Amino acid sequence: MSDGSNSLLSETSPTAASHDQGERGRRVRRVSPPGTRLRTTIADLVHSKSATIGVAIVLFWVFIAIAAPIVSPYSPTEMPGARLESFSREHWLGTDHLGRDVMSRLFWGTRVVLLLAPISVLLGILIGAPLGLTSGYVGGVVDMLIMRGSDIILSFPTLLIYILIITSIGPSALVVVVSVAIGNIPTIARIVRSLVLDERTKDYVNAARLRGERRRYILLREILPNVSGPLIADTTIRVGYAIMAIGSLGFLGLGIPPPTPDWGGMINEGRQWIFVMPWVVLAPAAALSSVVIALNLLADGIREIAQQR
Amino acid sequence: MLSFLLNRFGTMLLTMLVISMLVFFIAEVVPIDPARNALGRYATQEKVDELREEMGLDRPVLVRYVAWISNLLRGDFGESIHFRRPVRELVARRLGRSLALAALGFVFMIPLGLALGCIAGITEGKLLDRFISLTSSISVSVPPFAGGIFMIVIFALWLRWLPGASVPDPDASLLEFSKKLILPILTLSLDEIGYLARFTRVSMAEVMESDYIRTAVLKGIPRTKVIWRHALRNALIAPFTAIMLHINWLIGGVVVVEVLFNYPGLGSLLLEAAMRNDIILLEGGTLVLTFVAVSTQVIADIGIYIMNPRIRFE
Repeated sequence: MSDGSNSLLSETSPTAASHDQGERGRRVRRVSPPGTRLRTTIADLVHSKSATIGVAIVLFWVFIAIAAPIVSPYSPTEMPGARLESFSREHWLGTDHLGRDVMSRLFWGTRVVLLLAPISVLLGILIGAPLGLTSGYVGGVVDMLIMRGSDIILSFPTLLIYILIITSIGPSALVVVVSVAIGNIPTIARIVRSLVLDERTKDYVNAARLRGERRRYILLREILPNVSGPLIADTTIRVGYAIMAIGSLGFLGLGIPPPTPDWGGMINEGRQWIFVMPWVVLAPAAALSSVVIALNLLADGIREIAQQR
Repeated sequence: MLSFLLNRFGTMLLTMLVISMLVFFIAEVVPIDPARNALGRYATQEKVDELREEMGLDRPVLVRYVAWISNLLRGDFGESIHFRRPVRELVARRLGRSLALAALGFVFMIPLGLALGCIAGITEGKLLDRFISLTSSISVSVPPFAGGIFMIVIFALWLRWLPGASVPDPDASLLEFSKKLILPILTLSLDEIGYLARFTRVSMAEVMESDYIRTAVLKGIPRTKVIWRHALRNALIAPFTAIMLHINWLIGGVVVVEVLFNYPGLGSLLLEAAMRNDIILLEGGTLVLTFVAVSTQVIADIGIYIMNPRIRFE
């Protein structure tokens, strides 16, 4: 570098960054051209049997969620049929205790579940990842405080936190999302932190530090892309847990208030009639299980691929 | 050893303190009007004001918290708004039932889970292993309430083998009562066995490939003896840790199962308190349940410490 001698002296100067402008603007970590990575990932996924099944099921439900208004024969709130009817040509899965079509409610309920769960996990990552990054990189008192804090939240039985928060503030979609996010933040922070601890000692980090990069830059543009791999695999599982949590909350009556169709809520409402018309609860239970199973299979598949690489 | 114990108990105390603050804060400070919350939307303003005075809501937060904590430490958990009985009495009775359910569940699921995991780990790659792995994966993914629903439908509705609800009837015989408990325990265990089996399998497979096991086999020790005397001891450490980390999830599972089967334990009590906005009962019950969780973790921690010499001599 022509001004190599200057760069050491200007380590702390704010103009140091401008010297590297040209190089930094074109810094590409990946060797292969853009687009190949996605293609190889898809090819790998198809090879893994579990991942394929998982993706298929998830895509099925996503399709249902998007196409719910078109695919459902009835609206989820209208009450066309007799109450607690069994299968019939007009109602493929029967009707519930208010005469609503079970299948339509099931399809519409997909939207609620598939929307809220990823959002809560995303929220958890938005707050948990920076916490983990800071904790792992800065270390010291900050690290200890953050880890202690997350330890304490983790020793709280998760469902109890949810019950407490939702009871105090009142059930609504927002409260559910925020509670589930809070439940996930400690674990996400921990995972990110341990990944950062691994990366911190590597050479490219030292190189960046010697170059005089600011801490935030190192964390966001150097370390974060390298820890995102395992984080994504974990996120898949986490969305599954979030779906289970939202379902459980709905089952306990603490989820989205009726009449919005929510799979957990459907199970809760239909519970008392399980001996008369079991499909009111069997359908959402099976649907929920299938989604979580699919996500776990997908996560297993991703792990297989990561190991093979 | 002593320093470790002191350290653990100190942490536990600190944890319970912070948790009590959190619980108090969420239950009494965050809601705009806890008294209004408790009485519902249709209560008259006078009733709400009466309750406010009763609950002492006009005092500053710190004073309220200190009063609450000192009451707790004296054993006074307050009086339930809905049941109008001391919280301690309600909680104690239900806690015993929940613990009984959990203990029975443990006795059932831990040996089974460990055994399945060990078998899968030993026969790694073969058909038995793949079958166990697959069923474990699936059973872990089925949420407990969904699994419970399937159980009820299959065993109580279609096969009519077992009753669908588990309300203890003091007059019924012991056999009747135990029949009522099978489904809830099975539901709880389904998830746990899968989780445990997966963990144990990985641990066992690793151990089986390690050098000292290979040495033992090469030395001519019969395979079963190798497994029993050498492999198992080390393979079981990791699953033990896994169980400990999973306790919190288990408690959530117990709550769900209790509600599903109408089992009158602490979990269903807490939910009832939540449904009726009975803040005082919810606070007390949550603290007790959390205390159970935290102490179980501490005990398990100590157990691991004793079991694993590597930690002891660090």
